[in-house]
Amino acid sequence: MRNGMQASKYRLQGAGLDLALPYLMLAPGLTIVLGVLVYPLWDGLRASTKAYRYGSPVADVGLQNYVRLWSDAQFLNSLWVTVRFVALSVSIEAVLGFALALFCLHEFRGIRLLRTVLIIPMVITPVVVAIVFRLIYASDAGMLTALSAAMGGGAVQILGDPLKAFIGLVALDVWEWTPLMFLILLAGLQSLPHEPFEAARVDGAGAWRVFVDLTFPMMRPVLAIAIVLRTIDAFGTFDQVFVLTRGGPGEATRLISIYGYDTAFKFQQTGYAAALFVTIGLVVLALAFSAIRLLRRIDAS
Amino acid sequence: MMHSSRLTRRSVIKGGLGLALATTALTTLGLPMPAKAAGKKVIIGAFADGGLTPFKEKIIPLAKEQGFDIQFLEDEYGVTLEKWFADAQSGAGQYDLYLLDDPWVPQFGAANVLEDLGAGGIDGSDKDWIGSMIDMGYWPPQKGPRVKGFENAKPTLICVPFVGDLQTLTYRNDVFTGGAPKTWDEVIAKGKEGVAAGKIKYPVVFRGVSGNPIVTSWYPVFLSFGGSFFDDKWNPIFNSAEGKASAEFFVGTMKQNAPSGVVEFDSDQEGAAILGGDAGAIIQYSGNALKADDPAQTKVAGKLDFGVVPKQQSAIAQMGIFIAGVPKSAPNKANSIEFLKWYVSAETQAKLSEAGSIPVKRSAFGIAKPGNRLIPVALQQLDAGALPRPRTPDWAKVEELLGIELNKALQAGSGGGAALDTAAKQVKDYLTTAGYY
Amino acid sequence: MNTRLARILTTIFVLAVVLLPIYWLVSTSLKSNREITQEGTLYPHVPTLDNYVRLFTEKQFGSYLTNSLVVTFFSVSIALAVGAAGAYAIARFRLPFAAERKVGLFLLTLRIIPPVVILIPVYLLMLSLGLLDSWLGLIATYTAFNVTFCVWMMESFFREIPVDLEEAAMVDGDSRFGAFRRITLPLAAPGLAATAIFAVLVTFNEFLFALALTATPRAMTMPRGTATLIGRIDTDWASMSAAGVIGALPIVFFALLVQRHLVRGLTMGAVK
Repeated sequence: MRNGMQASKYRLQGAGLDLALPYLMLAPGLTIVLGVLVYPLWDGLRASTKAYRYGSPVADVGLQNYVRLWSDAQFLNSLWVTVRFVALSVSIEAVLGFALALFCLHEFRGIRLLRTVLIIPMVITPVVVAIVFRLIYASDAGMLTALSAAMGGGAVQILGDPLKAFIGLVALDVWEWTPLMFLILLAGLQSLPHEPFEAARVDGAGAWRVFVDLTFPMMRPVLAIAIVLRTIDAFGTFDQVFVLTRGGPGEATRLISIYGYDTAFKFQQTGYAAALFVTIGLVVLALAFSAIRLLRRIDAS
Repeated sequence: MMHSSRLTRRSVIKGGLGLALATTALTTLGLPMPAKAAGKKVIIGAFADGGLTPFKEKIIPLAKEQGFDIQFLEDEYGVTLEKWFADAQSGAGQYDLYLLDDPWVPQFGAANVLEDLGAGGIDGSDKDWIGSMIDMGYWPPQKGPRVKGFENAKPTLICVPFVGDLQTLTYRNDVFTGGAPKTWDEVIAKGKEGVAAGKIKYPVVFRGVSGNPIVTSWYPVFLSFGGSFFDDKWNPIFNSAEGKASAEFFVGTMKQNAPSGVVEFDSDQEGAAILGGDAGAIIQYSGNALKADDPAQTKVAGKLDFGVVPKQQSAIAQMGIFIAGVPKSAPNKANSIEFLKWYVSAETQAKLSEAGSIPVKRSAFGIAKPGNRLIPVALQQLDAGALPRPRTPDWAKVEELLGIELNKALQAGSGGGAALDTAAKQVKDYLTTAGYY
Repeated sequence: MNTRLARILTTIFVLAVVLLPIYWLVSTSLKSNREITQEGTLYPHVPTLDNYVRLFTEKQFGSYLTNSLVVTFFSVSIALAVGAAGAYAIARFRLPFAAERKVGLFLLTLRIIPPVVILIPVYLLMLSLGLLDSWLGLIATYTAFNVTFCVWMMESFFREIPVDLEEAAMVDGDSRFGAFRRITLPLAAPGLAATAIFAVLVTFNEFLFALALTATPRAMTMPRGTATLIGRIDTDWASMSAAGVIGALPIVFFALLVQRHLVRGLTMGAVK
């Protein structure tokens, strides 16, 4: 929100409707949010302190569910899978997105087409993206197998192999979200001042020098924001994994969201799942806020 | 500034209108002619499975003739358990009938969310029922160990078998020329001969994916080696000597004689292996078995025969039937129960058998023209021995824990016994937290 | 010349990476299941529209589309209206205890929490209100989600508009709300459009809550409906891919039409 033209605010004044106006304007939004989001959040917190059997609460266990989480091998495993997934996907997306943005910085033939086409992966319904990739990876009906067969090879196994399935998931995420990074970083690049680059060109600086000394440092804030936004969203990845592998094979792609979903709905451990989700919510919040603080520091420098 | 905002709004409106028009056009394509029928409505929830195809194609029309207005809601298997349990448990009333996978019955039973069908007029003691099938409809089970809290409860009939299904052996009759192989050793030995003769590439094929697939594949091997899963007090004893022997055989010998990718196989791939002619034998449910005679689905039509599963000590297969329950919150409960009564009658079951599905009443097995040659073999297997999975509401988690370990051992090609030990400990820990002991 | 060639090759490569999977989806949707699994052809040898027809005649896709349209339309419009009002209040007014900033921060926090966290409680809430498997239940849920980021996005758009214009209008006799309606809103239209587009995208594509809150074609949305065909046993590849195409078509069509504003909205948060 660092705009040159910061509109000033009204202090509360006037009488009657004018006085009540801000409250009236805030009220509907707050009501909906409080009712549909905050109340369930509170409910979830309460549920997390109970033990559930066959779908109904049977006992109050205080913080036991939370404690149990940290000795639950499957929870820890899903946490680890998620961290690996997010780290790998987001870093690849950042690098590729940056490269693409640099590539598209100056007009050339076909750039319009490229930019238009690049929108597609990130707007397609995530469920459909997962279908697209299942159709690529399937060992019997998939594109990779078909290509391999056309070249004389055999069936290609991806989704059944733990490592390959994981990489396949990362590939899906990269395909889907690199365009978003690209767009953000491109906007960032386009908003950079021209003079330093002019000066550098006049000085005869090489492309790599320009990048390291000028572009990258100036882009740090934007890059940081893009990475933070993408990371926060990536933690909540569910749809694609649900459709692509349902967490399998075994636990290879069982992200925290899938494990939580299974715990709540498949194994009927509602209270335990609630504790899991609250924990994850707190983790993401902590990540987000420390990221914002980091960003403020980068911005200030 | 004003200009651009007007253009903006216009392009958005244009976009919105175009979208609306396009989708309206598509929607009208999908609007069914409003049914004038004032039939007895029954909302059936089912998961997509080839085993229900005969029911869908042949029996639903018959039901319509009887005056039932069937709404058949199909969904993907991985979603249905959660959806239906949430529906029943919360009393949401979105379904009249669930076509459950039988291991789910204990969970629904323990939560006490299904109608008492016995009280509703369905006779569970009718001798025409296949005994092992109707047993699965009672909660708590009439025989066998009971989960804590239900030791003294009176068994109630909360589900009735809907479509039978169990594992049988499908084998290549040009490799096992003397009929179905009787023992596992025979399967491997004759299978190897078949490979040498170039008729097949692998003696066996099965599913190795972690979770339900691998446990289901291992289970008949386990049973045939004489293993028992739990004792009377729900202690896991599947890591007994017999159990471990079966696990070693499974991750060792069987893997060596199966396609190399078997650790990643699910139904589709194992089906492709047998129907494509590469595998010599497979233990499978009827879904894929039924494709064996269709030249459009298999390259070796005519070469596949069915038989009882091979034995080590005994020849016991796993049962996994479609079993129907009516939630207490069903909106059209009376219709639903009436439909079930009609459906499980001997006459309708005979029609089901004609249509090609495994029926649930003994008389229906004996009809003159079963729709499928698997049906008599299924009866043989039922009489030889077929066991359902353990009757516990926590089976899903137990299966998952076991599946993870078995899959690891399968990948390594060894360590089956150790895997069982690890899984047994995990299962014991989990059941302890769940209050079993 | 070298760079020109490199440029062209890179462009082609990127286009291929994006479009090849889509080509495969479409081409699979035009084949029969037999051709898909048995022959593994690289393009449809015997193209057929059967799969699409079946989607609408047997698999209820018309209903899914209708539900998605209705739910998206109402969730987004209500959230926009309510969110714009709230955003304006936060942007313009200084309330006691800096209340407006706290509210803004509060809504932002809600936006950051992964929605899956409240999945079960929302399910139970809708159940107790009798709103499961209904348009209203979905609309209420999605509106709430949308309000959180609509306020966040539109607040900065409102801040960009100088107060003087509103004050001028008020001097001329307009009430504050009137000035909001007549001056501020039109000026913020591009921002509103960007927010609206973003909201449409997120709402139409939502899956998790549709999974939990709906059960029958009465209320199942497109993504939820598409998911009924993703079976791993006896996978019906033909229907699944046709469902994918139909599921993606409306939203891709929409996005391409409103590209400019979409881009603006997506990048706005990052580059300020």
